[in-house]
Amino acid sequence: MSWILPEGASLGFEGLAAPLRIVRGLGGGTQGQVYEVDLEGERLALKWYLPACIARDGGLERRLIASIRATAPNEDFLWPIALLRASPASRPLIRIRDESFGYLMPLRPPAYVGACEHAAGRLAIGLRQVLRACFGLADAFHSLHLAGLCYKDVSLGNLFLEPDSGGILICDNDNVAVDGADHGAVLGTPGFMAPEVLLGQARPGADSDLFSLAVLLFRLLTRHDPLKGQMELAIRCLDEPARRRLCGEDPVFIFDPVDDRNRPDPIEHAAALITWPIYPRPLQALFEQTFCRGMKQPSRRALTGQWKQELARTLDRRAFCPACGQENFQASGGPALCWSCGAPLPEPTTLLLPHGSVVAAPDNELHAHHFDALAGEDLRRPLARVVAHPQDPRRLGLRNLSTVAWSAETPDGRVQAVQPGESCSLAALTRIQSPAGPIAVQRPTRPSPAA
Amino acid sequence: MPFPDVKLANRPLHFLYLCDCSGSMAASGKMQALNQAIRQSLPGMAAVARDNPEARVLVRAVRFADHAAWHIETPTPVDQLEWRDLQAGGITAMGEALKLVAAALQTPPMEVRALPPVLVLISDGQPTDDFAAGLEALLRVPWAQKAVRLAIALGHDADLEVLQRFIGTEPATAGRSPRRPLQASNATSLAQYIQWASTAVVGAASMPASRVSETPLEPAVGNIPLPDLPPTVLDPTDDVGPLVW
Ligand SMILES: Nc1ncnc2c1ncn2[C@@H]1O[C@H](COP(=O)(O)OP(=O)(O)O)[C@@H](O)[C@H]1O
Ligand SMILES: [Mg+2]
Repeated sequence: MSWILPEGASLGFEGLAAPLRIVRGLGGGTQGQVYEVDLEGERLALKWYLPACIARDGGLERRLIASIRATAPNEDFLWPIALLRASPASRPLIRIRDESFGYLMPLRPPAYVGACEHAAGRLAIGLRQVLRACFGLADAFHSLHLAGLCYKDVSLGNLFLEPDSGGILICDNDNVAVDGADHGAVLGTPGFMAPEVLLGQARPGADSDLFSLAVLLFRLLTRHDPLKGQMELAIRCLDEPARRRLCGEDPVFIFDPVDDRNRPDPIEHAAALITWPIYPRPLQALFEQTFCRGMKQPSRRALTGQWKQELARTLDRRAFCPACGQENFQASGGPALCWSCGAPLPEPTTLLLPHGSVVAAPDNELHAHHFDALAGEDLRRPLARVVAHPQDPRRLGLRNLSTVAWSAETPDGRVQAVQPGESCSLAALTRIQSPAGPIAVQRPTRPSPAA
Repeated sequence: MPFPDVKLANRPLHFLYLCDCSGSMAASGKMQALNQAIRQSLPGMAAVARDNPEARVLVRAVRFADHAAWHIETPTPVDQLEWRDLQAGGITAMGEALKLVAAALQTPPMEVRALPPVLVLISDGQPTDDFAAGLEALLRVPWAQKAVRLAIALGHDADLEVLQRFIGTEPATAGRSPRRPLQASNATSLAQYIQWASTAVVGAASMPASRVSETPLEPAVGNIPLPDLPPTVLDPTDDVGPLVW
C-alpha cells in the first residue's frame, strides 16, 4: 500500500491544538485510507479521502460537519469526531498534489473483527452472539432512523463484530444524512441495495436502509444471500448485468412462501437450508415481509423496532437440546424438535414476567423491557441472568445483577433475600419480587424425559 | 454453542497474467521490476481474496517470448502462490499467448459458473507473431468476452495500439474517459498498476463495491465497473530519480 500520510510523522491540522502522530496505516478502500493516530496519548482513527472521492461527492464535507455536530445515535457507531485539514506547514508532508481532508473517529478495538470473517465461516462465534449482534445492528439503525437520519451504504464491509460478546461497531458513517434531504453521491453496495435504488428509481433513504438491513441480518443469521437460489445457479457469469437482474429486475426471495422459482439448491446453497430452520416463525416472517411484499413496496418492509422486538424475543426463547446440546430458539407451544439432531425438545422451565417470558437456560437474561411496557428493548444492562450451578450444571439459578435486593418466595411461603450479585436456585422458588417487578417461575406441566 | 459449520457458496475468479518475456525485457531491469511488482502484490491480493468470501481467487500466468508457455498452469489460490522469477530472452509471441489463454477459458476446463475472469497483459514491445489471429481466437470464447481485460505498457516502445485492441474500445461514458492501456514508465508506477489490478480490480470483480451515482449502474460495455486508478502518490524517493524506461 502506498500511504498518503507519512507513517510515524507528526502532522499539524487546522483547528487541532496538538499535532497528530500518524502511527500506522490500517487499510485503504475505494474512498480513502484509514490510519491509526495518536492525539496527546489517545489512540484514534483518521480517515483521509482521495481527491477523486471528494471531487465526486460535493456534499461530503457538509454531511460530515452536520454529523459531527449531531453526535452519534448510539455508542455502536464509529462516528466522526472532527473534520481535519492539514495546516500549511504540514501540507507538503502529504503525498498527493490535490487538496484533501479527512475526519477523526474512534479506533476500533482489536477484539472486533470484520463481519466478512463470520460470513466466510472463519470466525468462532456462537448462535447467541450472532443473534445479539443482529439485535445490536437493528438497535443501532433504530436510533439512527429515530434521529431522522439514514445510513445509505449498509454492507458486510462496514460492520465489525466482537465474537465473544456479540457486540458490534459500524464504520464508514460518512454517507449518513437526514432522510430524504441530502442527495449524497452514494447509492449503496450491490447485493445490499434495495431493488428500487439499484434500478435507479429511488434515492437511498430510510426505506432502502430497511431492505439493506434485512439483507445484512439474513447474511449474519444464515451465512447466505437472500436472493441466491436457483436463479443464481442459472447465471453462468455473475457480472454486473447479471446482478442487476438477480437483485433489481426480478428479485425473488429464496424462501418466498408463494414464488418458488428461486429455492436454494441442496448442495450449492446448503448453508441457507441448514440455518433457516433454526429461527422461530415470527423472525422468519419479518424476512418474508421485507423480501416478499416489501421487495416492491418499500413502505411495507419490517421496521427497526419490529426487528428489535423479534430478535430480543428469539434470544428469550433460547434453550439447549438435551440430546446434542445445541441451542434452539423455537416458539413455545406445539411439540418442537431440535434443528440440529432432531431430538424432541422438552418443555423448559420459564420465567414469566410482566412483559414477556424468558426460558431458564444458562446466560439468558432479564432486562428492563421485560418489566416495563414503555421501555424499548435494550440488552446492555441486564437485571438478572440465568446461571448453572458450579457443581451441578443441571441445577439452574438466577443471579441478581441489579443494585437492589430481591425477595424470593418458596412454595411453602417462606421468603428469602437475594442480594445484588447473589444467585437463587430456581428449583426451590415459585416467585421472586424484584423492584423492577415480579418474576414467576413456571415449571413444565409434563416432566421432561430427562428429569 | 458454535454457529453451524456451514460454508458460504462461492464462485471461482480466474486471474491470469500474460507476461512479455522478450529479450528487451532484460534491458534496464524491466524483467526484475515485473517479478518484484508481482511478488510484492501477492499479500495485498491475498487480503482482498480473504475479504471476499464469495470469490475463490485462482491465479495463473503465461509467459511469452519465442513461444508462449504456462508459467503457472494450475489455477492456484493466491495464498498458496509462489512467484518464480520470469527470465527474459527471445522475441514476442503475444498472439500465441492469447491462443493459450483462449484454450484455457473454454468450458471445460473452465467451470460452468464463475465470476468474470481478469486478464492482465503486460508488454514492452510489439508482437512478432500473428497477434490478430490470437486475439480473434480469444474473443470467440465467451469467458474471454466477459473477462475484465487490462493492459500495462512498459516503457515507450510498447505497442499501445495492440494493447488497446486487447482491452477493447469502450466508448467514453458520462464522466469517464475511455479506457486506455496503463503506461508504466518506471518500476514504481508498474508496481502501483500491478497492485491496483490484483487488489482493486479483483475486489470489483468478486464482490461489488459501494456505488456512487456517477458510476453508471448499467455499464456500457465492460461488465464490471472498474475502480478508480490509484492516486499518484508522490514517492519520497522520487528525488533520487527513478529509473525511466
Ligand atoms: N475506526 C476504524 N478503526 C480501525 N480500522 C478502521 C476504522 N475505520 C475503517 N477501518 C479500516 O480501514 C479500512 C478502510 O476503511 P473504509 O472506510 O471502509 O474504506 P473505504 O470506504 O474507502 O472502502 C478497512 O480495512 C477498515 O477495516
Ligand atoms: Mg468502506
